[in-house]
Amino acid sequence: MIPTLHSISSRVPPAIWRTGGWLVRLLIVLIALRPITPAPAHVTLGPPQTVETQHPAVCVHTRLTDEVEEWKVQRTLSMVREMGASTIVEFFPWPYAEHDEGRYDWAHFDRIMLHARNQGLSVIARLGLVPDWARPPVVEKVTTLTYLTEDYYDEFVDFVRAFVARYGDEIVGVIIWNEPNLGIEWGNRPVDPEAYTGLLRQSYTAAHAANPDVVVMGGALAPTVNPDASGSALSDVDFLERMYEAGAKGYFDALAVHTYGFTRPAQDPPDPDVVNFRRVELLREVMARYGDDATPVYITESGWNDDPRWTNAVRPGQRIVYTLEAFEMVEAWPWTETLCLWNFRIPFDLNNRRDAYYALVSSDFHIRPVYEAVQAYARGWESPYLP
Amino acid sequence: MNRAHALRHRARQTVHAARQHPRLTLIAIAGLALLAAAWVLTRPGAPFGPQDGTWRRSQINRDLYVGLDPNYPPFAEWTPDGIIGLEADIAHEIGRRLGVKTSILIMGYDGLYDALYIGTVDFLISGLRRNPAYEEWVHYTPPYFDAGQVLVSRPDAPVTRWRDLDGKTVAVEIASAGDQAAQRWQRRLHALDIVRAMLPQEAMQAVQAGEADAALVDVVSARLYLAEHDDLVMAEDTAVPEEFVIALREENFRMIAEVEDVLAEMRADGTLDAIIDRWL
Repeated sequence: MIPTLHSISSRVPPAIWRTGGWLVRLLIVLIALRPITPAPAHVTLGPPQTVETQHPAVCVHTRLTDEVEEWKVQRTLSMVREMGASTIVEFFPWPYAEHDEGRYDWAHFDRIMLHARNQGLSVIARLGLVPDWARPPVVEKVTTLTYLTEDYYDEFVDFVRAFVARYGDEIVGVIIWNEPNLGIEWGNRPVDPEAYTGLLRQSYTAAHAANPDVVVMGGALAPTVNPDASGSALSDVDFLERMYEAGAKGYFDALAVHTYGFTRPAQDPPDPDVVNFRRVELLREVMARYGDDATPVYITESGWNDDPRWTNAVRPGQRIVYTLEAFEMVEAWPWTETLCLWNFRIPFDLNNRRDAYYALVSSDFHIRPVYEAVQAYARGWESPYLP
Repeated sequence: MNRAHALRHRARQTVHAARQHPRLTLIAIAGLALLAAAWVLTRPGAPFGPQDGTWRRSQINRDLYVGLDPNYPPFAEWTPDGIIGLEADIAHEIGRRLGVKTSILIMGYDGLYDALYIGTVDFLISGLRRNPAYEEWVHYTPPYFDAGQVLVSRPDAPVTRWRDLDGKTVAVEIASAGDQAAQRWQRRLHALDIVRAMLPQEAMQAVQAGEADAALVDVVSARLYLAEHDDLVMAEDTAVPEEFVIALREENFRMIAEVEDVLAEMRADGTLDAIIDRWL
């Protein structure tokens, strides 16, 4: 006789049935609970804030470009304000805004601008990178995000115009490109000061057409002593000189400068063969030589690193002293507007140790001693870190 | 009816049920036996389980690839003579004891985990600390070095624990992990004065000069300084640990076991200490 389901089930002892029944119920509950995840943090804008500072030159370079969660954008910017920095430099990549040609998506940029405005912060916008559609197809040539040919200058300039038209009233200015004197920032090609000058001139005209008051910043050159343009980099001093030779004068309202101290104190004297903080004075000499000394300088990247593993780093105390000395020097120079520290915080520090040790605040918002020292300086408090 | 009695009753019922239904019981036992066999046979290294391809390759080719960032003397430094340093020596010693030739691959710190992930290297030894974010696929060995903050004091008045500092003065390097730890201790002890120096060497000089009872500085600085100054002693254990570990891929279970065995041997026979003493 073929056993029926009923005959099989009647042979199973009741204790097993009961236990099995509870297990099935538990399983159903677990399956029902599985899709439940915490709701995303609700962000409330809150009342508009103002920055309390005694040193308006204090500025930081934030990295909110890749910050996904809005509460982290807000938290970062509120910590910048609490530190007493009145200005931030933030990167606004072209591919993020115009992923598809001719269609702009400003959502993330709007979010950053909204929270910066609410915290009372001024923004210097760094513009750069190139979307896929403005580069050769991969089957033809493998290129990096920094590969921009003259064929696509018009499209980049359109982005600059659109960006300034949208945010021109609420930003200090725009930086055109980043470190064009490094091959890696110039599409892994030999650097080309004349080509960069062409890009700068077109961008300047477009930005001012969109908003005559916006400050267009050129340069943002990497501090390097490499004398040979055919290699991976060209000295920032030589590059700037060639920019002037190529007709850059009058096509930038301010020079953006990157100047790092590495292992040298802030006071270390300028020397063409040395990369140190006062290298900015060499760039200033070039400007003066070309009759451009009325044009101000914004130091948009600077600082010291205290990574115990890096040979170009300093001890944490030295970092604090050098940083504060640099602020004092910048405030004494009538030709500099800001000193922006690289960097305030990076969203994810696991794979970027170097930037993690430049950061003033860790990815999980743990403040580092240098933050407290800069805060005390900016707000006129007693420093918690004095010898 | 108490709980024990209820359990006994339930057990008797189950045995009774098993006697009443021998075929069902047999099927259940056979099912359990099958599950146990499947579990045993599919364990890592078992005939139907995952194999450690990295270990297999290493044994066939007699090679071992190690990734490090040679940017941190005396742990690892790139010289005309090759990569030298404490970590390079440990890597070579592990290779020697495994009977394979060690090749050190130089890479930037930020590329280390990527190189491990894609299999360019078999393990990393580069001042790494345990990182929970990677533990899904990375296995960390026990530490080969503790680079944390250690108390340094005079031998006639040794200070070995932070509790010994109550009512005393500690010298620290400004803004260091030692400085931050001393601030925490200050809140826990009845009294603790903190003297801040720009460099760890200056903090230890304060102890020598009698301006502080102890210095709390990083182990590397302490060892290098004490090598030239025998009027100070260092506590045996760090007060604020910072343990350097070797990172391997979690899937390389055999390589993990072998490397950890070798590391334990090196610790037991004094080789590890000898290498550390050679460089620090």
